[in-house]
Amino acid sequence: MTLAPDATARAARPLITSLIDEATVGAIAGEAWVALVGEEELLVPVPGALPEDALSTWVDVVGPWTGSVVLTAGHGTAVELTRALLAEATPAVLEPEDVTDAFGEIANVVGGNVKAALPGPSTLSLPQVGDAPAVRNPDDVCRVEVLWRGQPLVITVQGALPSTSPQHENPHHENPQHENPHHENPHPNGVSL
Amino acid sequence: MKILVADDSRVMRQIVIRTLRQAGYDDHDIVEAEDGRDAYEKVRTEAPDLVLSDWNMPNMTGLECLQALRSSGSAVPFGFVTSEGSADMRETAADAGALFLIAKPFTEETFRENLDGVLA
Amino acid sequence: MRALVIDDSRAMRRIVTGILGGLGYETRQAGHGQEALDVLHEGWVPDLCTIDWNMPVMDGLQFVNAVRANPAWRPVTLVMVTSESEQSQIVRALAAGAHEYVIKPFTADALRDKLALLGLLPQEAVL
Repeated sequence: MTLAPDATARAARPLITSLIDEATVGAIAGEAWVALVGEEELLVPVPGALPEDALSTWVDVVGPWTGSVVLTAGHGTAVELTRALLAEATPAVLEPEDVTDAFGEIANVVGGNVKAALPGPSTLSLPQVGDAPAVRNPDDVCRVEVLWRGQPLVITVQGALPSTSPQHENPHHENPQHENPHHENPHPNGVSL
Repeated sequence: MKILVADDSRVMRQIVIRTLRQAGYDDHDIVEAEDGRDAYEKVRTEAPDLVLSDWNMPNMTGLECLQALRSSGSAVPFGFVTSEGSADMRETAADAGALFLIAKPFTEETFRENLDGVLA
Repeated sequence: MRALVIDDSRAMRRIVTGILGGLGYETRQAGHGQEALDVLHEGWVPDLCTIDWNMPVMDGLQFVNAVRANPAWRPVTLVMVTSESEQSQIVRALAAGAHEYVIKPFTADALRDKLALLGLLPQEAVL
């Protein structure tokens, strides 16, 4: 295989870091929280260690830049977020689908606003909830770590395309996942050990 | 008046209904739909005075629902409540016959600004 | 360089094969993922596969998973060919190991540009 990526090639497939910065992603998330969760709800830009039972939600953006907008938090945080979003409509017993719904909707809102800040035309997928999608190209990631009510929350805008640089190996899939391709990375995106 | 709220997220439907109330529109009947196809059918069976619809939904998107309604001769007032508020989206929405597009996240003020001419 | 064109539509296969042939590829075709795997198992390992999403017997995603599961086929570049309505599946295919995608309808130039990005234009490509 002849490999000769050049500057033109990289410009045609921009990395997220040339399109959006942490401050913008943080501001988008902050506005979403204020409007959906409550006026007093702040996202403090301080990193924290995600717990073992981290849960992720994401939407995919397909266009001149293709990738996912992923939110990751502890399962307990996702539950608390659901209660906060439902407010007085919160049922006594929360079903897993309520959490999937609420957490997914947060991804929809944050992702939709990130998409609007990126070059178009592009499409936005419906949200998904589960284990974080693996990072395909470490150079194509914009990562924001915040605390909400003292609990860690990680927002990443991550590209889905492999690097065109010859030094980067494509992910080696030892355990092909037919149902859930997003399980390929044993370490959920964002877990700090 | 009767308002149809269409969104595949139950949480978001609750938030829209809550915001309607907070914005002062609290004596209207609310009907809920969970996707574009459901919304399309409920416009015919429930005859709402206004449709507030998400854009991205399974089975039939909000845009497809609006287009289907207009093609079938329905002039029901229709507005989008969606996570993407770009100029392109607004133009597409307006071209299809939408009265407004409210971008998420929204506030009660945004609702009042967009709905004051539409709801009593 | 070799290209394997995988699509259940004979018309699409003809179009893509024509474009790739014009770029200097030696091409073969398969009507679904299992037929494509059979070609690889024969020992004819392509540099490039263009893969339709929706196919009977074995679809595009299953084919990508199967290829990426075999270390011997690691150098094979996988390009998904999807329609407008299938765009929501693209990131899923990429996560499974596909390298690039094109959306139908696409021009010969668009495909050529994607292949150039991947460094996959045969030396004898005609401009």
